[in-house]
Amino acid sequence: MVDLRLEATVNGRKISRTAKPHQRLLDFIRDDLNLTGNKEGCGAGECGTCSVFVDGVLMKSCLLPVAKAQGAQIDTIESLAKTGELSVLQKAFHKAGASQCGYCIPGMVMAATAALRINPFADREEIKERLGGNICRCTGYQKIFDAVELARDVQNGRLPATALLETDTEDGEVIGKNVRRIDAPSKVSGKLKYAGDMTMPGMLHVQVLRSPHAHARIVSIDVSAAEAMDGIEGVVTSADVPGQDGFGVFVHDQPVMARGKVRYVGEAVAAVAAEDAMTAKRALAAIKVVYAPLAPVFDAEEAMRPGAPVVHDYAPDNITKHIPIRVGDVEKGFAESDLVLEETYSTQAIEHAYLEPEAGLSYVDPDGVVVVVSPSQNITHHRHMLARIIAKPISKVRFIMSPVGGGFGGKEDMIYQGMLALLAMKTQRPVRLVFTREESIISTAKRHPSRTTLRMGLMRDGRIRALDMRMVCDGGAYGLSTEGVMRKAAILAAGPYVIPNVKVDTYGIYTNNTPSGAFRSFGALQTAFATESHLDIAAERLGLDPFQIRRINAMRDGATTHTKAKLGTVSLTRALDAAEKASGWEAGSPTMRGGTRGDLAHDDVRPAVSLGARFAADGKGGKQEAAE
Amino acid sequence: MARKRGRGMAACWYGIARTAAVDRAGAWAEIDDGGSAKIITGVTEIGEGILTVLAQIAAHEMGVKPEHVVIGDNDTGRSPEAAHAGASRQTYMIGNVVALASREARKRLVEVMADVWDVEVETIRTGNGEIWAENTNHRISMGEAVTFAKGRGVVPVGSATFGTDTTGLDPVDGSGNPWQAYVFGCQVAEVEVDTVTGEVQVLGVWAAHDVGRAVNPQGVEGQIEGGIVQALGQALMEDYELKDGHTSTSGFAKYILPTSLDVPRVNSIIIEDPDPIGPLGVKGIGEPAMVPTIPAVMNAIYDAVGVRIFDLPATPEKVLMAIRAKEREAAE
Repeated sequence: MVDLRLEATVNGRKISRTAKPHQRLLDFIRDDLNLTGNKEGCGAGECGTCSVFVDGVLMKSCLLPVAKAQGAQIDTIESLAKTGELSVLQKAFHKAGASQCGYCIPGMVMAATAALRINPFADREEIKERLGGNICRCTGYQKIFDAVELARDVQNGRLPATALLETDTEDGEVIGKNVRRIDAPSKVSGKLKYAGDMTMPGMLHVQVLRSPHAHARIVSIDVSAAEAMDGIEGVVTSADVPGQDGFGVFVHDQPVMARGKVRYVGEAVAAVAAEDAMTAKRALAAIKVVYAPLAPVFDAEEAMRPGAPVVHDYAPDNITKHIPIRVGDVEKGFAESDLVLEETYSTQAIEHAYLEPEAGLSYVDPDGVVVVVSPSQNITHHRHMLARIIAKPISKVRFIMSPVGGGFGGKEDMIYQGMLALLAMKTQRPVRLVFTREESIISTAKRHPSRTTLRMGLMRDGRIRALDMRMVCDGGAYGLSTEGVMRKAAILAAGPYVIPNVKVDTYGIYTNNTPSGAFRSFGALQTAFATESHLDIAAERLGLDPFQIRRINAMRDGATTHTKAKLGTVSLTRALDAAEKASGWEAGSPTMRGGTRGDLAHDDVRPAVSLGARFAADGKGGKQEAAE
Repeated sequence: MARKRGRGMAACWYGIARTAAVDRAGAWAEIDDGGSAKIITGVTEIGEGILTVLAQIAAHEMGVKPEHVVIGDNDTGRSPEAAHAGASRQTYMIGNVVALASREARKRLVEVMADVWDVEVETIRTGNGEIWAENTNHRISMGEAVTFAKGRGVVPVGSATFGTDTTGLDPVDGSGNPWQAYVFGCQVAEVEVDTVTGEVQVLGVWAAHDVGRAVNPQGVEGQIEGGIVQALGQALMEDYELKDGHTSTSGFAKYILPTSLDVPRVNSIIIEDPDPIGPLGVKGIGEPAMVPTIPAVMNAIYDAVGVRIFDLPATPEKVLMAIRAKEREAAE
């Protein structure tokens, strides 16, 4: 296809440039114009972080072919603070604490700017609807709504401009004060460079060949045709690993690229570095891999049975980790109990969905130090592992943590940095890899899906006499953080309650599913779902209020935990009191009394949503935006 | 009535920093020319606001303004080890070690000024970019003090390490001392369940969490609000689906996340039960904020419509099927 000549106005400046017809407007803005403020989060128009104005209308630039910008006026996040001074809305985001990782924020600021242009008097509910096309994974949106309301009020003169400034304290004390985030100006303006925004002179682009099989032996990999292609500077497979090939947060069971066999769909098999990403993609198709499929196992309970397919030779029972906790005698405790309740709870795998897909750069510096720049949550451990993998001393491996566009545990794994280092060493040029959203979802860790059987014995007065929990988690194809997740889950499983007899067993199991790993709350979420649901079931059976049954069992100052650790002060009853009081909780047993409650809130809750009602009702203004 | 409301609650506890393993962090501090401050430590921001927290702590300890604190890049080749960004450990581990390093840097400067002014070290105060001696006329800017120090051959630097006194777990009965700081929390959720569609809306959450000491209350609220919404995604809609190892949810069109229209109003109550071990009293909040949310929401759904969801997520289909099953049971 022939290149096209694009003439447009970008951020107030006329441009005339050559563009590739396959480019999206987002690629053109970011790669050709070096305006990296607007990000790519999903490439499918779902997340909104690429939002720009096209002739004044908010558009998702990942969905627009660049040719659509012919003759148009394009405004990116960089247009809002062109003189260096942040816009009122950007200042309001800074003041309200509306940015966390910051990756969604350029798009969010654009959407909010559009919202207040369309209706300068938009109320909080309308603001929510107008931001409905933009996803934020960090903030819970509340501070974003606060920021837009603040900007609206300053713009309308209802609040003075000083409302946007730092509140200085008279005594100079800064601890305990809402000091504005020092990183916010760089985030609300789009100036902060994440790894995927960075380039280096002579940089190559990396693409990864991934397994289509859940479990298969690799018979052969032939990269010769790919290596011979024009523009290809290097291809690596596990054969290029000079040292001990293995990484993981606890067990180093995962090779940099599949070695001998693949264990899940999406596992890296080979990586290519080329002059441009398109050439690298074409080279992937030229790599010939012969697989011999093996029997897979997709269910954790099945994987524990004798005769199940073995995922890792070192663990013939497929158990990654079992953590036991034992206190007293649970069977005796159940015999003494007035009420014994047993239920089974299950939770699903979920995706971290940080808005920044994985990205990283690697190069070898003039002193022979292998440098990796990436949004890693654990640069210290990564350098230890990479040093072993590439057989170099620690001093010859350097990790730099680039700004992290959301992590939540998902960026603790060294899932791609090894491939980058190998390609930098092989090509002796800087290399960069940027994951697509799909790649990020299929190849990186999830929250452990779990199945928990919980048996609890209680006395008539509400005291818990015994607790027996067995949780089986699908750890997927590699260990990653499974061991630690099982440990934290087990320690916290029985809750902050005094229980004389406790038996807990947590099992992390290998399967051929996408690996599970670290995810904010690390196993405690799964066990708390079971234990805290169970307590309400018990409260109903015993005629107790949910707060009351927890107070009866609550650990107090100096309590001994289920791991026999001695606590100092215990703030649990303070937390119970505070939540009960703040919510105006009406005491009573949890007997489906929603219909008769007198404590349902008015001011501290949001109105229920009837989606689209506003647009249907006023029939103006928002219709076009709603459809986007 | 098609829409029914209900309330539920749940409590939680959580350990701060690495589990059943010794945790540690290092930092360097310097009071720099012009009275600004420099902090170098090997871990940083993943969005939680730790840079701002560290700037506040360094400012508090060294007497400079937070906006005059520069925090160096996290780089294993250029900064001391501070381990990882996770485990709700940043404010606890890095905050405490930055406080200790800052105190040492300040001590160097204070010793010089005590000598210059011929006063006792204990009478010297710092704050808001100034240094002064109590009950005297001596008061100069931090920048001037740094010039004095350098004139005497002293660079006001400090370094520190902070570690935890923790143990592994016994392999048979699990006994051990996994953490030295624990936090506790409690949340109440109010929901509305549409009995025609099965859709659950979480309208409000009241979240009370102990954080030890809130360095930046707005940041703490941000962690609570964000944690609750992530938990709400798992409670009601998110589901990474696999069939024979292949996912059918490889993009955000199929993998459904909470949007601005799904989130409750979150009412945060910050409780401060200071940690007696670290120099600041701080603990953590990142992870515990999302632990009680799911059971609180499930307990609230039960309160509203009398069905209990044992199998997450509580999608409209699942809730509706449970409501219909309950109605059939009642009719029989």
